[in-house]
Amino acid sequence: MEKIMEENSNAIIMGQGVNDFKGIFGTTQGLQEKFGDNRVFDVPLAEEATTGVGIGASLNGLYPIQTHIRADFSLVCMNQIINLASKYRYMFGGIFEVPMLIRLVVGRSWGQGAQHSQSLQSTFSHFPGLTVILPSHPDTILSSYLYAAEKYMNPVISIEHRLMYDLGFAKGVYATKSNPLHSSYIVREGNDVTIVATSIMVLETLRAAEHLSKSAGISCEVIDIHSASHPQRELIIESIRKTKKLIIADTSWKAYGVGAEVCRWVLEKDPTLLIAPAKTIGMAPAPCPTAKSLEDLYYPNLFTLSDDIANIVTGNSNHGIPLPDEKSMADVYKKFKGPF
Amino acid sequence: MPDSPSIHYDKLFRVSLLIRKFEEKIIELYPSDKIQSPVHLSLGQEAVASGICACLTKKDLLFGTYRSHAYYIAKGGKLTEMMAELYGKSTGSNKGKAGSMHLADATVGMMGSSAVVASTIPHAVGAALASRNLNKDQLIVAVFGDGATDEGVYHESINFASLMKLPMLFVCENNGLAVHSSQKDRQSFNISTHANVYGIESEYISDGYNFCKIQKRTSENINLIKSNGRPRLLEIETFRYCEHVGPGEDFNDGYRSSSDFENWKSKDPLVNDKESIAKFIPGIREEIQNAVNFAEKSPWPKTEELLTDII
Ligand SMILES: Cc1ncc(C[n+]2csc(CCOP(=O)(O)OP(=O)(O)O)c2C)c(N)n1
Ligand SMILES: [Mg+2]
Repeated sequence: MEKIMEENSNAIIMGQGVNDFKGIFGTTQGLQEKFGDNRVFDVPLAEEATTGVGIGASLNGLYPIQTHIRADFSLVCMNQIINLASKYRYMFGGIFEVPMLIRLVVGRSWGQGAQHSQSLQSTFSHFPGLTVILPSHPDTILSSYLYAAEKYMNPVISIEHRLMYDLGFAKGVYATKSNPLHSSYIVREGNDVTIVATSIMVLETLRAAEHLSKSAGISCEVIDIHSASHPQRELIIESIRKTKKLIIADTSWKAYGVGAEVCRWVLEKDPTLLIAPAKTIGMAPAPCPTAKSLEDLYYPNLFTLSDDIANIVTGNSNHGIPLPDEKSMADVYKKFKGPF
Repeated sequence: MPDSPSIHYDKLFRVSLLIRKFEEKIIELYPSDKIQSPVHLSLGQEAVASGICACLTKKDLLFGTYRSHAYYIAKGGKLTEMMAELYGKSTGSNKGKAGSMHLADATVGMMGSSAVVASTIPHAVGAALASRNLNKDQLIVAVFGDGATDEGVYHESINFASLMKLPMLFVCENNGLAVHSSQKDRQSFNISTHANVYGIESEYISDGYNFCKIQKRTSENINLIKSNGRPRLLEIETFRYCEHVGPGEDFNDGYRSSSDFENWKSKDPLVNDKESIAKFIPGIREEIQNAVNFAEKSPWPKTEELLTDII
């Protein structure tokens, strides 16, 4: 955020609580002091108007960065995001551009319940005109946000995951790409199965891949899809050509989701690419429960994920591969600090 | 040099009459199905647009609604491109992708018009924020109907503008109707006095056919906005002559009376000032005919256009 504000003097940050002492998990802390209250400011609890104000500000020369401390609140802005921002360029025959960045934080962790934990990538990616990313690494946050603020002339929705703010990350995992907003990344190479993952599921998948490699010599290729709206399809197809097996691990529900979408174009491309059934992994098809015992069942965890991968790779549900004894992701992230 | 009163009147009369005749042309063409876009006509409401826009320059930005033919013309948009847009031709102001409801021309500051009621009001607020931050010398105007003030986003937007002390003008065209619902069946408040609750000074103008008065009041309001840097609101009573959408009249449908219509028309200079009509009509007819010819001759959008300008 700081770098964008330094490099792009038209950038402004507007959102509920961006200037408070917590500063959106620290990501906007101290920026009002540094850049002044014309450029970094708190807004009324008026999500629709605030989004519209961002659109208007963008149309008249600013680069607005907007935040929602829980992605769920952006549902109040759907009219502006879907009916207006996504259509401004097309509906007016290309005479307007609405470059802006909307950051949504997925609030998942213990007890967040049904309205503080949703992951809206498939909803937003459905609409032509929007660019939707789910960064899972500081490298892609930096490259994507700088590209968005300096070069990209369209609205971008970035879905950040709360559990990742406190983690440490290894450098150099991510390749440099010319347009990070339309990119996907191979983050682990392998031969036995292609696993396409979103957001925190990239980290989970890497942990499962590490476990399966050590305990059973299974070699997973892990792809961080990163751009849900504009994934690098060829990169994913090429990986499947090599491994011939496909799993998609997403942070949201499976119906009409990222997994369904990846399967759609794999099937449309060539239905003979896979030699095993594809597998989609996501949350249970229910609103998120608050009770921890239920929440632990609701989300995939290292145990279920490793089991799913082993099933697909071996083609056998009695694969006999030892599974990690870890059934609650929330517990892990409370103490786990990486690096990955 | 300030214009003399009669030149003022003539200019405003001509623009208003141009809007009226252009829309009457739309009505005439409509049965041919050449205009394939729902039209929300401004007939009866022209004076609001001409009076407001007479106080603006091209760099001032106006955000409107689906009922924006009048503003497009009054703001200085090209008639040829407008007619081509209504025909869905590639030479239209928006390449045929906008039609009647999304007319826009950035080169004259005619910004988005949206079919979702009230949805461009916050855009005007945002544009005013940008204008202030970037020290642009421009005025931002939000135009909307009385129905739009039912919407939450209207209230959110005027609060935002007042809170941030944004110099801008809100204009409510009050025709007393949202489709067929009258204002008294929808609202527990009075639009102009209610804005004061948010710290926004307002003015109510009851004779919305009087373009000279609208221009004068707008101009004074703009001066006040510029001098104290705060938003203001103008509520202007007006009268929609046609049905909500489409080219017809609907005084026999039982929800409003034709006597109110006759009463309003009896004060409407575009009906009564026969002398000015005679003076301007030949030039206006020619301009409109040119626009029709241009639209007729223009090509349809090419196939590639379907997937152009998405991102
Ligand atoms: C959000 C939304 N709700 C409902 C509609 C349907 N609708 C179209 S125009 C209209 C009336 C709006 O009235 P007003 O704002 O007074 O404008 P007018 O048509 O009188 O110019 C309605 C309800 C819509 N387009 N958008
Ligand atoms: Mg109305």
